[in-house]
Amino acid sequence: MTQEITDLMLIEKILNGQTDQYSLLVKRHQRFVFTLALRFAKNREDAEEIAQDCFIKAYKALGTFKQTSKFSTWLYTITYTTAMTFLRKKRLDTLSINDDETFLQLENHTSAFMANGYERKDSHHFLNQAITQLMPDDATIITLFYQGEQSLEEIGITLHMEPNTIKVKLHRARQRLKEKLQYLLKDEVKELL
Amino acid sequence: MNTIDEQLWDYIDGNLDKTQASAIKEKINTDAEFKSKYEELVRFNLNFDKIELEEPSMSFTRNVMESIAFEPAPIAMKTKVDKRIIYSIGSFFILSLLILFGYMLYNANLTMPGFDRKVNFSFNLDKYITPTTVYSFLFADVVIGLIFLDQFLREKMAQSKKV
Repeated sequence: MTQEITDLMLIEKILNGQTDQYSLLVKRHQRFVFTLALRFAKNREDAEEIAQDCFIKAYKALGTFKQTSKFSTWLYTITYTTAMTFLRKKRLDTLSINDDETFLQLENHTSAFMANGYERKDSHHFLNQAITQLMPDDATIITLFYQGEQSLEEIGITLHMEPNTIKVKLHRARQRLKEKLQYLLKDEVKELL
Repeated sequence: MNTIDEQLWDYIDGNLDKTQASAIKEKINTDAEFKSKYEELVRFNLNFDKIELEEPSMSFTRNVMESIAFEPAPIAMKTKVDKRIIYSIGSFFILSLLILFGYMLYNANLTMPGFDRKVNFSFNLDKYITPTTVYSFLFADVVIGLIFLDQFLREKMAQSKKV
């Protein structure tokens, strides 16, 4: 991270009383934290709530940040834990499926693509679509590895797993992502990739 | 996932050592199937760089800052528990105990005639624990207490200035 003022310098300032400097840290990391939250929440409102919650938690616990790892790794650990808690709560909410008044509406991603008449879009759009269809853990590992530029060791710290497990999971996640893309785009996938 | 894929991903991610990497490179150069698989994975891998991060709403930072406005300012753990303070208190009490112990040893009449192990600690304690000693001890305690109070008030003042 080659930034004028490093995360650690900002944290030092905040801990010395310049709490307004926290907005710089938020601005610096908000896009990634939000993207990561979106891998779990699947809708922007919930993802924004998770991301906000993460930054509030991080602020409260900033004094306990030991600075032995990168601030981003520490922040992503908070994001992952918060997002997992959110998912658990969400699952509990959907347990009332037997309720007569509750009905389930399945989203048909494929038909959405069909309806667009395979409108020509860039690979970024299709990749993002495919990532949203992955399991949260797979999507998180891919996001952390490629967009967060985290090493296998750092992802291991974030997800509380061994680096070797992360390596295997990353291989599988990429394979699943490829399959999703093939399913979504059929023959176009070769052209796209 | 087959082994070829795993090997190639390890090669692309840079997880292999020099020997393993050169073995894979050799395979890519000699095996056509291996090479086409490698090129496919490289193309797939390059797409990840194109993925852009999502942008939260414009008011995101403001919302976070408003939420934390009423939270107490974070303080570093090392400030909360300053080791120097702990060490100074500890050393003060250890030193006091050592001085008392030293006085006791100095004035004690340690006799051991034969093996009867009779130790005579008959020294006049009142002679040393005088009001002056007690006052000095209490004075040192009060000074330490005042140092703590001063630090506490300074922190409070700094926090109230921030709010």
